[in-house]
Amino acid sequence: MLFFIEATISGLMTGVMYSLVALGFVLIFKASGIFNFAQGVLALFAGLTLVGLMEMFAVPGWLAIILTVGVMIALAWLIERLVLQHLVNQTPIILFMSTIGLAYVLEGVGDLLWGSDVKVLDIGLPQGASDLMLDRFNLYVEKLEVVAAITAAVLVTVLAVFFQKTRIGRALRAVADDHQAALSVGISLRTIWVIVWSVAGIVALVAGIMWGTKSGIQFSLSLIALKALPVLILGGFTSIPGAIVGGLIIGVGEKWAEIYVGSMVGGAIENWFAYVLALAFLLFRPQGLFGERIIERV
Amino acid sequence: MTEHRKRIGDNVLKVENITLSFGGVEALKEISFEIREHEILAIIGPNGAGKTSMLNVINGFYHPQAGTITYRGEVRSAMRPHHAAKQGIARTFQNVALFKGMSTLDNIMSGRSLRMHANFLWQMLYYGPARREETAHRRRVEEIIDFLEIQAIRRTPVGRLPYGLQKRVELARALAMEPQLLLLDEPMAGMNVEEKEDMSRFIIDVNEQFGTTIALIEHDMGVVMDISDRVVVLDYGRKLADGTPDEVRANQDVIDAYLGVPHE
Repeated sequence: MLFFIEATISGLMTGVMYSLVALGFVLIFKASGIFNFAQGVLALFAGLTLVGLMEMFAVPGWLAIILTVGVMIALAWLIERLVLQHLVNQTPIILFMSTIGLAYVLEGVGDLLWGSDVKVLDIGLPQGASDLMLDRFNLYVEKLEVVAAITAAVLVTVLAVFFQKTRIGRALRAVADDHQAALSVGISLRTIWVIVWSVAGIVALVAGIMWGTKSGIQFSLSLIALKALPVLILGGFTSIPGAIVGGLIIGVGEKWAEIYVGSMVGGAIENWFAYVLALAFLLFRPQGLFGERIIERV
Repeated sequence: MTEHRKRIGDNVLKVENITLSFGGVEALKEISFEIREHEILAIIGPNGAGKTSMLNVINGFYHPQAGTITYRGEVRSAMRPHHAAKQGIARTFQNVALFKGMSTLDNIMSGRSLRMHANFLWQMLYYGPARREETAHRRRVEEIIDFLEIQAIRRTPVGRLPYGLQKRVELARALAMEPQLLLLDEPMAGMNVEEKEDMSRFIIDVNEQFGTTIALIEHDMGVVMDISDRVVVLDYGRKLADGTPDEVRANQDVIDAYLGVPHE
């Protein structure tokens, strides 16, 4: 029983990490209808920048984070200026292709600026097992994962309120829905895009910090984007809570599958379980758990 | 009807020699006309005459190759949508461009975007000024909802509404901008007689109560002749006529091109 609880908690915590990445996708998809292939690379780039700044200028972690936020906002502005601005009113597939290009450019620039070796990220986040949980309940829980969970909860709450209740949030949804109509009420597409890519960049930074602290900043970080895909399919591409719930389900699901089914088929289920689950969802509930049903009057 | 005619003032907007082409197709050829303050101007013409293109030029979706647009004294070679909205030009669309996933209320609130100024941080926290501002604008939006009699559908996602009501929500969103110039692209398309009567009444009320200048495209001649102060007739991208409904009705070119030569 104890083992089961431990596995579940560990799964939930991994799920939170997936959610953090998925969140960035949802933001950009919700606000511009673009599936942003570069989201994983954005996390890598943010992580590299953070470590790079800390190493190069020997600044403390908190200052480096603030500087990196600045870099991500500048990056959002550049992306709007150099890429998106020229692609207004293009079909989603073209915008998608442009984000693939963007992913490779960013990866190259990150390499060029900060080098390609694995870097250790330590901004002073607590690591190791939580003594409290170990002593009280005899459970092994990573401190870092608890921090990640709390961070994710705060992020999601703020973003959900922001999207639902505020003018900019409403403008973001409006832009996602209909470019032309949004323009006609005076919403500036360019400002909105800079805002949404900035927020996505900051979310990517958070994901980069968590994953980087856990396993070092390295190229494979950009591949966690692939793990975010099934999370998105489960949760729905347009739902912020969906990204969280989807991440948790995938995290726990793959842990359980590994432990209870893996032994029967020789293991390594963890690697593909998420995708099978996503496939099942595509067949039976393509909009995901929380996605918007597409309503079309004919 | 008679009241607002008395108040008609100077030009609000004047287009001169507007020429617009897409590749080899000339959508508009040297069009000039003006829109006067507080009037209801109808733009009519057969399908493909360039009516919607004309509205798109006025609110900046299209940039004409030649000609000038003078809005409130400023001469420009092209408008831009964001600036047009800022300077009080609102519009609706032929095929209803609403934010389909959002509620009626949110759609109308989006029309207030330009009037809300609370800064980004407060917005993120949804606290203090942001909250107060939201409440103040909400009050204004409720007035518009009452005005257009759409109280019952406040919370409904607009994608689920019947077409006639969507048109009305779109008008509400435009009104939420408190525009000086309102461009309506076929506000009554696809409506039944009763809905058309309602819409006509709303358009006249907006014009009379708020003094809003209105330029509208409409195919229903009965409606056009009833509610408009002046009519501009386009055909194949050219202007055929421009005048009061009676003048236009009597114009031989218009009769031939648009109102129809009797079929023999």
